[in-house]
Amino acid sequence: MTESRSEGGLVRYYCTAGNGMEPFLVDEVKRKLAAEDVHQMPGKVLFSSSVRIDRVAELKAAERLFLLLKHDSPVRLSSHTSPAKAASVLQSRLLGDRNQWTSAVLTWNRLQGELAGQRTAFNISSTALGVMRKNEEVARRSEELREEEENCHVEIGESTGEQREEESGNRRLRAGEENGACALEKKRKRETVPGGEKTRRETCGAEAKILEKKIKREDENMSQRTSEREQEREDKDDDDEERRMVMEFNSCGQDVKKGMISESGLHGSGSVSAHATPGRDHDVESSSRKIDNLAEDCSVENVENEVKTIGEDKTLLQPSRIRPEITTSVRLSFRISCKCTGSLSRYFSTQEVSKVIGVGLGRLLGWKADLRNPQMEVNVYLSDDHCLLGIPLTRLPLANRNYIKTTGLRSTVAWAMASLAQIQPGFCVVDPMCGVGTILIEAAQEHKAACFLGVDIDDRQLQKANENIEFAELGNRIHLLKASSMVLPLPSASVDAVVCDLPFGRKFGTKTNMAANLPVIVAEMERVLCVGGALVLLLSPQLSCLLKKILAQKDTKPTSNQEIKPQTGVQDCSSPSLSTRKQETFQIHQGVKSPPTQETDTLSGVKHSLPPPLSSLKHQATLRVSLGAIDGLIHKYVKIDV
Amino acid sequence: MKLLTHNMLTSHVKGVTKGYPLLIKATEVKVNEVEFNPQFVSRMIPKVEWSSLVQAAEQLGHRQDLPGELVPDYENNEEFLKKVHRVLLEVEVIEGCLQCPESGREFPISRGIPNMLLNEDEV
Repeated sequence: MTESRSEGGLVRYYCTAGNGMEPFLVDEVKRKLAAEDVHQMPGKVLFSSSVRIDRVAELKAAERLFLLLKHDSPVRLSSHTSPAKAASVLQSRLLGDRNQWTSAVLTWNRLQGELAGQRTAFNISSTALGVMRKNEEVARRSEELREEEENCHVEIGESTGEQREEESGNRRLRAGEENGACALEKKRKRETVPGGEKTRRETCGAEAKILEKKIKREDENMSQRTSEREQEREDKDDDDEERRMVMEFNSCGQDVKKGMISESGLHGSGSVSAHATPGRDHDVESSSRKIDNLAEDCSVENVENEVKTIGEDKTLLQPSRIRPEITTSVRLSFRISCKCTGSLSRYFSTQEVSKVIGVGLGRLLGWKADLRNPQMEVNVYLSDDHCLLGIPLTRLPLANRNYIKTTGLRSTVAWAMASLAQIQPGFCVVDPMCGVGTILIEAAQEHKAACFLGVDIDDRQLQKANENIEFAELGNRIHLLKASSMVLPLPSASVDAVVCDLPFGRKFGTKTNMAANLPVIVAEMERVLCVGGALVLLLSPQLSCLLKKILAQKDTKPTSNQEIKPQTGVQDCSSPSLSTRKQETFQIHQGVKSPPTQETDTLSGVKHSLPPPLSSLKHQATLRVSLGAIDGLIHKYVKIDV
Repeated sequence: MKLLTHNMLTSHVKGVTKGYPLLIKATEVKVNEVEFNPQFVSRMIPKVEWSSLVQAAEQLGHRQDLPGELVPDYENNEEFLKKVHRVLLEVEVIEGCLQCPESGREFPISRGIPNMLLNEDEV
């Protein structure tokens, strides 16, 4: 375990998560990171872990990862507070101790350094020699930084000098070993990555197409986002969260507009880095790499839902640029991203909050605000429930999987579904409508000794799934075949788990009537499942309602006074999808239904008119998760012996 | 199509009672080396219909002198696991078809993906 420990001991992080994903993330951080002090709030999970940052960055249920700066009770202002007074309250509440910021920045820097290996490997497609040198530099620097961080702690007086010295010696030693291992890893990665990177870039167009389709599927929200060309499908539902206002101190606010980024990207990346970082000698290869970076950054812009400049991307992306001399005395450049809700938002605009905090930080630490090319970003969330400050640790959301070429379903939700299926070694798992195979890929990444079968009726989907599986190098464990989900070419009771994202009926609405076919499809899933096997389905709110009724009908018909036909059910239950945010967060209906065993005896004569019996499916949970503009409901059933 | 998949496939053409195992008529077979995962293979063996696997491997000329009966204590027999690994995961039918043993219905395999889709009148 020791080698997997981070050098800095316990670090407090927080992750953002899609609506409904918080419980999955809580479970994941506890299980994989031995996280302590886990705290869940809507859209976020706070935790402490001493596991290495690269493992933290592999979380599957999270959207983005931050280093926690501050988590506090909400800032409250009485209605008659003067603006000047309000500003000073904000500053005193949010900024606090100077040392806290300084040590946070050093921790952040060190973590960036530890992450650098992976990151630079992905960023570079040529000039391997130059990179080698750079990586060494990174390693050396992160070491120096570590030292500085420790010095800083000493300054603060947290422990005695002697102990520290001894420890830091040990650490440096270990760090050396680690960096060595790291470099090896990097070498290996670099060999494999460039090709993949290239294909990734090429698929950008294809991704955009899918994106278009997706947006169509989520047309409800179209009007409010027409201006946002660069929506990333993964990130869609973080909309309100991610569509942050960037602070405007100076008059240059307009420059940050997205439209300009893609068009003036080339110019921007060249000139910005030149003038915004005075006194820095840019190596030759950095300029030769610019085209590569640019190409990547552009593609990244396509899939990112954030207001970012190319220049900033470069700084965040390449910790190698961050000089070791970043200490209290150096003018660190930063930018504030602020999200403000509740009573405070009626008092201040997001820009005003950003400005107040920005000015305060400048005064407190001598840092310099820089909207275009900051070395660091500070995220501020203010609501009626809490205030939260953090520094993003990765540029791309963790939800962006580097092993998936064409994304279908949101990767975090796909992962959550796989985790609900409780896949064990030796399991055979089937997705009867696999699409591009997202769920199977997420599941196969996590469960190395299980076999997966993806079924779809559409050749193009299967082809994309095939490409995805090859890209993820999972071809030996994920197999594909073309068939109808209503007639699976599999023996009864032959598979251990069925997972499926049922088409919501918008994309394929013309081809198949999901609502009409749902009983047959679910019955077929039930048939192939073995007793004890799990069925995990992602359904639209409408289909979710319908399925509940189909199953409830079977269970409760003798005593039921409500006769609901499945067809009318579709229209009837569209309202639950519009329920309020609070209700959406997390719902488990457990044991709602009476055990179906009793009914089957009395019903056996009557009920066999319906396709095969569904009464062996025991409902376990219903979870609402956000898929962007709309929500989906994950249903989990277990097949029982009747 | 890998033989692991084949081992699971059944024909559900209307009126067929035993559409298993499907006969393989391959026109293009590829052998790809893939990483050997002994845990995975030994976990899969109990799931596999052994005689169908051997028969399918025989049809493709890749039997690897696999015994007609599953050997006991195979978990620790790496040589055996490697052979099974090869048959299950490395031998792949790229083009050809699968035939229902009872009805004679043929299911085409193209670009490695079997098409098990039935016509409406066959369901």
